[in-house]
Amino acid sequence: MTVSPLVPPSPSAVAHRKSAGSETARTTQGNESPLQQVQPVADREITEQLNDEVRHKYIKAKKLGEGTYAVVYLGHLRTDPSSFVAIKKIKVNTEYKDGLSMDAIREVKYLQELRHPNIIALHDVFSSKDQNLNLVLEYLPRGDLEMLIKDSNVHYGVADVKAWMAMLARGVWFCHENFVLHRDIKPNNLLIASDGEVKLADFGLARSFADPYLNMTHQVITRWYRPPELLYGARQYSGAVDIWSVGMVFAELLLRVPFVAGNSDLDQITKICEAFGTPTEENWPSVSKLPNYIPTDGNHLVPLQGRDFFLRHFPTAGPVGADLLMSMCALDPRKRSTAYQALQHSWWSTEPRPTNKEDLPRKSGGTKKMGDDLTRRGGELDDQFKNAARQLDFAAMKG
Amino acid sequence: MLIRCNPLTASSCQDEHRFDLNLGKSGMAANYWASTQRRHWLFTRERLAAIRESFREKDKVAHSQFPLPDQRLLNIYFSQQLNKLGKRMSTRQQALATAQVYIKRYYTKNEIRSTNPYLVLTTAFYLACKMEECPQHIRFVVTEARSLWPGRQILTTTNPFAAAHVPSEFIAPDISKIGECEFSLISEMHSQLIVHHPYRSLSDLQAELTLTSDEVALAWSVINDHYLTDLPLLYPPHVIAIMAIIVAVVFKPSSQTAFHSSPAPIAGAMREGGINIFAALGDKGGAGPPPRIQKLITWLAESEVDIKAVIECTQELVSLYEVWEQYSEKNSKELLGRMIKGKSLDK
Repeated sequence: MTVSPLVPPSPSAVAHRKSAGSETARTTQGNESPLQQVQPVADREITEQLNDEVRHKYIKAKKLGEGTYAVVYLGHLRTDPSSFVAIKKIKVNTEYKDGLSMDAIREVKYLQELRHPNIIALHDVFSSKDQNLNLVLEYLPRGDLEMLIKDSNVHYGVADVKAWMAMLARGVWFCHENFVLHRDIKPNNLLIASDGEVKLADFGLARSFADPYLNMTHQVITRWYRPPELLYGARQYSGAVDIWSVGMVFAELLLRVPFVAGNSDLDQITKICEAFGTPTEENWPSVSKLPNYIPTDGNHLVPLQGRDFFLRHFPTAGPVGADLLMSMCALDPRKRSTAYQALQHSWWSTEPRPTNKEDLPRKSGGTKKMGDDLTRRGGELDDQFKNAARQLDFAAMKG
Repeated sequence: MLIRCNPLTASSCQDEHRFDLNLGKSGMAANYWASTQRRHWLFTRERLAAIRESFREKDKVAHSQFPLPDQRLLNIYFSQQLNKLGKRMSTRQQALATAQVYIKRYYTKNEIRSTNPYLVLTTAFYLACKMEECPQHIRFVVTEARSLWPGRQILTTTNPFAAAHVPSEFIAPDISKIGECEFSLISEMHSQLIVHHPYRSLSDLQAELTLTSDEVALAWSVINDHYLTDLPLLYPPHVIAIMAIIVAVVFKPSSQTAFHSSPAPIAGAMREGGINIFAALGDKGGAGPPPRIQKLITWLAESEVDIKAVIECTQELVSLYEVWEQYSEKNSKELLGRMIKGKSLDK
């Protein structure tokens, strides 16, 4: 087993889509010469036929979950009832008035291009007659990390946390390597495959890194996992926002409760300051220029927490693990480690070694959980609050 | 910074160089080499010609009844219309470029004479804006498109008698039309929506080739122009970017406005100049061109870029500028209007 979790994507995962009929025949070849396409004859009926072919490849079995945005079914290959898939039917009709929602657009857009063992695979897309878009996704029957964290009957140790974190970090690294920000990393978006592999799911809030100086919305990432720069309204940010979320997931895995759980955005930033220290011009140059920065009066300044703080609060991680966590929780996004740096940290090779994915703790009821996870809209804490993140911020996005 | 290798034998280090060109320092959404664009949306010229021929074969009557201008002239018209729409809503250039590629992809699956091109244009624009993270409200898009392309005027000029009792418009007020068309657009493109553009490669190469801001601006406008041709369906974005840089550095037209108001002289200059620069590539020992151009030639020769592809792109652009002389907005508009009315495609 490799020591570093930095595993390059397997060529097959990158080069080929598991896809239907004539699509499988397409291969990558000679780079400079235009590809010899095995395109279907350009013809409306044939396009439809191709779509039908894809649709008929799968059988929808039972409904796993339903949300406002999507219905998820358990399905399987017609030719092989034992090979399961999840079919996420996006409710286009409810969204009709505004065309296809940005969530659906983003999800399809990125999952079509990103192939990695730690990112949920999109096998196919087909449209059904009632004008719904159906995403055929990898079947992940073992629920998500949130389920394991919350269930007190599930016992796990630091070696298990290390294995999960390594898989999460690889998935995030791959997104960033491809210039994609996930923007909604949290335990219930980290689904678990039957072999124990953790998969990053829900790309409904994802976007490409913006061109320099172009603004992005700060209304992303579920509150407890949202970094201070977004809470301060930063409109230009980087992969560091996802790393903060990864750090929060790490802390939560160790503590088995969310580490900083604010009940409003203001409460969230207050709790972050109390926990990690108050952002100041000294520890975070030009923080006071961020649009929603709130100065703290001198009497309430919490000094920036050091290594001993992390060791004290996260003793199970050990000194090396605490150091990694600290590097992910730097207030100043420029000082936060990148996904690549995180993957090169010595914690991964420090004893205990990460548990083999097949031996990780498991829990039943995962299929239902997958249904719930895939129908929920991003940015939402289950049933706790309706996040405004999903509303398109038209004025903000123009640029 | 690059590992230089012999362009003739260097297959082993090709990929390395390409990653250099395409991934650069700044972001490119996902990676071109593994992209759906490269795997599913690059055609050969022959393939593209065969597709179009099959459309003609299928409906010869419509083709003779409703003649349309040369594809490139039609593209010029589409692009100008999209630009007008984009200007009204202050959209990013990148979204307009994506919309143009969507339209091209769509028309490799559908014969234009079976569609309402104004609806396709509007929908491609609407979807591209969402894709490029500068979304516009569907109602706003429909309102703007309706006022830009009212549809009625054409009818009154071509058939004054029908006009009185056949109210007609290119874009219906009902926004669900756009919703339906969006769905069809996404389905036809197999939900493969990310488009890699040459603009990124251009900014990545700017430093390495020490391009002046004038050269970058000119190369940028050449890239804009390449969307008027089939090139986006034929070549990878970095090849297009390099072609644009060559055109900008070698031909340096005095100003961009002159470039567009009268493309013909440029076409001539490019054809002659093009022969020279590519001849120089094969003959590095000669007296050769000025140092600025020599530098570019050396870089090209040492890179792994497919020179033949770059030449073909240049030729395509030359012929675009030549055919541009025949462009008449009025003519395109009338022919399209007649087709839409004649086939009731606006219904």
